[in-house]
Amino acid sequence: MAIIKKTEIVLDHKFDPRSCRHTINGELHVLHCHHYATLYTRLADDCGMLDGKKLLVDVAEDCFYELLTKYYAAHNIESIDDRFSIAEQYYAAAGLGQMEVLCAGTESGEVKLLHSHLDEGWINKWEKRDTPVNFMTCGYIAAIFSAAFDRPTRTFSVLEKESIISGAEHSLFDIVAK
Amino acid sequence: MAIDRKKIIQNMSKIEILGNEEGLIPGFNVFVTQLPASFWNGFAERLTRQVGSELLESAEWLLVNAAHECGYHTGYGIITSEEWKAVVAPMIENAPEDILHGAFAVFTAWGWANSEIVELIPNEKMVVRAYNYYESDVVGYGKSTKPSAYMIRGVSAAFMDLGYGGEYDKTGKTGLRTFSCEQTKGIECGDGYGEFVVTKSNH
Repeated sequence: MAIIKKTEIVLDHKFDPRSCRHTINGELHVLHCHHYATLYTRLADDCGMLDGKKLLVDVAEDCFYELLTKYYAAHNIESIDDRFSIAEQYYAAAGLGQMEVLCAGTESGEVKLLHSHLDEGWINKWEKRDTPVNFMTCGYIAAIFSAAFDRPTRTFSVLEKESIISGAEHSLFDIVAK
Repeated sequence: MAIDRKKIIQNMSKIEILGNEEGLIPGFNVFVTQLPASFWNGFAERLTRQVGSELLESAEWLLVNAAHECGYHTGYGIITSEEWKAVVAPMIENAPEDILHGAFAVFTAWGWANSEIVELIPNEKMVVRAYNYYESDVVGYGKSTKPSAYMIRGVSAAFMDLGYGGEYDKTGKTGLRTFSCEQTKGIECGDGYGEFVVTKSNH
């Protein structure tokens, strides 16, 4: 059986004592808890003022697209396999959960979450619910597909069709080119 | 005051946090994430700039509330953690005031805001100054007419809840929101530092 060597993500964490800021790979990072993430998500979900869900998806897509494309350029990550592997590893290192890209192409793909900060945090704080809430991850997935295939943001739409929050064993996302 | 802020920052800033084999970071009685500040800033800023003036106050309240609940629960997790017991607890002589000073040193060490208490009237009022904070990064040029440090507002109020709002309540029904916070100055508004005034809630 062939042994596949996974390219491991490099996370260069630094603390600047002058500004008291923490960076990972030169990007400012902050810690927040599931109360914060779930309340932001609930705000997006309940938002009658504008389309909060789309806003959260777009912000996540923009943020993580920039982060990943910078990383790929800085570390010469060119293969699709390596790009998805790095994206899965970053997702886990950030505490967002355990992600597995099941398949991916320039037209479509499928992604599974075995664990999810948002879903498990939500259930911990409130309770299960019928409709999905992982808008942040929809944006993250849109970003990793665009970044992997050298496409601009807003190339892919992401639909969460099974959710841990609704009692499923894992969350499942369908990706399709717009 | 017995709190050695410099020592706390030196010790607590060494924290290295990474997801476990499930991609989760359990700690301080909560699940934690470590994300780019631009994600949180991006959502807060796009939301508050798009809702319109009539709904701005409501949107801001919701953003502050997210931090308020986060600060209350995570704050409690921090002040009961092993890290706290090892580094900060031995310095505490006068509780809860020293706990509050220690909490802002940890708040600084973990990168939320380089901040400290400049005035504290027990169970009444606290003034916090933040000399460097990620929420001010929403402005890269010029001065904003809108202060943007919703996270610091919420967490500052939450710390006063923990100090003077009675016993910690996991459900958040009793101890939470006994204090509220207003931002009176902001780096994003052209001031030299952010200033946050916490007082007892009216309701």
